[in-house]
Amino acid sequence: MEIKDLHVKYKTDEAEVFAVNGLDLTVREGETLGLVGETGAGKTTTALSILRLLPSKVGEITQGSIRLDGKELTKASEPEMRRIRGADVSMIFQDPMTSLNPVIRVGDQIAEVLELHSKKTSRAEIDKRVDEILKMVGISKDRKHDFPHQFSGGMKQRVVIAIGLACKPRLLLADEPTTALDVTIQAQVLEMMKELKEKLNTAMILITHDLGVVAQTCDRVAIMYAGRIIEIGMAKDIFEGKNHHPYTVGLFGSIPDLTRETRRLNPIPGMMPDPTEKITGCAFADRCQFCTDRCRQQEPEEYWEGSHMIRCGRFGQGKEAEA
Amino acid sequence: MSPTDSVPLIQVKNLKKYFRTPKGPLHAVDDVTFMIKEGRTLGVVGESGCGKSTLGRTILRLLEATSGELIYRGEDLLKYNKHQMKEMRKRMQIIFQDPYASLNPRMTVSEIIAELIKVCKTLTDKHAIQEKVRDLMDTVGLAQRFVNTYPHEPDGGRRQRIGVARALATDPEFIVCDEPVSALDVSIQAQILNLMMDLQEERKLTYMFITHDLSVVKHISDDIAVMYLGQCVEKAPSRELFRNPKHPYTQALLDAIPLPSLREEDKLKKVIKGEVTSPINPKPGCRFAARCPYAAPECTAQNIPLRDQGDGHCVACVRYPA
Repeated sequence: MEIKDLHVKYKTDEAEVFAVNGLDLTVREGETLGLVGETGAGKTTTALSILRLLPSKVGEITQGSIRLDGKELTKASEPEMRRIRGADVSMIFQDPMTSLNPVIRVGDQIAEVLELHSKKTSRAEIDKRVDEILKMVGISKDRKHDFPHQFSGGMKQRVVIAIGLACKPRLLLADEPTTALDVTIQAQVLEMMKELKEKLNTAMILITHDLGVVAQTCDRVAIMYAGRIIEIGMAKDIFEGKNHHPYTVGLFGSIPDLTRETRRLNPIPGMMPDPTEKITGCAFADRCQFCTDRCRQQEPEEYWEGSHMIRCGRFGQGKEAEA
Repeated sequence: MSPTDSVPLIQVKNLKKYFRTPKGPLHAVDDVTFMIKEGRTLGVVGESGCGKSTLGRTILRLLEATSGELIYRGEDLLKYNKHQMKEMRKRMQIIFQDPYASLNPRMTVSEIIAELIKVCKTLTDKHAIQEKVRDLMDTVGLAQRFVNTYPHEPDGGRRQRIGVARALATDPEFIVCDEPVSALDVSIQAQILNLMMDLQEERKLTYMFITHDLSVVKHISDDIAVMYLGQCVEKAPSRELFRNPKHPYTQALLDAIPLPSLREEDKLKKVIKGEVTSPINPKPGCRFAARCPYAAPECTAQNIPLRDQGDGHCVACVRYPA
């Protein structure tokens, strides 16, 4: 899948909100890409744009293209999109408590996706497949006639994952799939997702704010800030590389380190810029200790170092110009 | 950082809080004993439903304890009457998890902070109260321009600063912090944690810090108590607990944290199976036995007390006899 120069804007009565501003992203077959950023960075908006599920009349893709296996999704018709959702691209939402229908038995909720997308039509075949899928996510098939409220949070998220993977999609968008779960349950769910992804060869975009989860599951990592990707690279580049965007450094400085003793954290001062204003120059400039006049005037170029990209004026051409 | 000879500010002895349910008593807090020394921080960790918030509220008598003792500077708070308790509340405060839900949306920031001062009558002069509110806002790093705004206007981090300012309004000695940073983004979380640690140093505050986030609890606590289904299963100085976790549940909890590192030794270790069982009418014995890789028949034969293993490291597990 390939996203090029994506811009998304929300229109409200009071103001226009520029949620995504020129985002480029490629996901290769079978890989797990971590999309990291804080609240309001535009992570979820990006995922919703891929599925074309932005709230109608409010959210709008204003520019750019999203291609899945060469097919342009921004121009696809609604019936086409319906075929794609669930079958080729599916999404897991953060909160398993609200993403399941409370009045439909879980087995029927899984069967619904299969009925819509698979060629299998007989009830018996679908039933058999539901049992297989439940087994795959580690739920006994005796429980398929239960309602969502009879499951615990971790089990519910397993059901949601089962629905997401029922049609063996090419791409899975997982929006904070484990944030609502306890750590021991989170570890169980992460392990299961990793196994299933390998088995089905599904590519995954894992949206999260937890750098720990990213380190344990992702092949590549993209860091998002104010609707742009400011750093992307293989997990090795991000976690062990030498050069980083100042925001990435701040993000790492904010997490208390379990392996070391520190009395004070080094958070980033200030807050994310107001998304209702169009930003000229680097979006991070106001919070950056290395900010120069150049940063405020023009948006920094991408600086590539092998598989590692940093969008910061301190690297690449900017650096040479300064010297 | 704090003197080791400091005296216990609060001692909790065999505290129990049961809730009545149609299916039988729910053991939310079951026989918990600990103490917090003045100027120190006790971290309470555990997963959802382990009773950590109930414990915090029972200590402040926002919930009435079923039995036990609650010794604050030598006096049993559970014996206090309503009037005495109201006096006490000036000295004991709470910061809640969700700054969205814990601030009255129809009161301005200054009204929220001043409310407690007015209720407790620590100050009566209007100007003195306004002065105090301004001071508190400075202390927690809130710009004065927010003084007449409503709590929905500032963002999450600033809103939690309002929560902190409100808790400080009567100059308390002891603050129960119930997941104060869980709803915040990491960079904002770090700002609030730094603020709370600075305040502790300046004002010699004693914290009981409730959280499910182990990296946060390690960062802020002097001592840590690990809870599982209403019981305290392990208690130790912070550094010791992380270096040498003894209870199988503590070990599983530490192993389950995904670390932001790619090193081989930081990879997720073996994952424990199963989920938390029901706290309604629990069977005797260790409540973790059903998920424990070392479970033996003696684990469920009788209740297992917390036993001291030396240097203040206590653990409730048959593998560590007294």
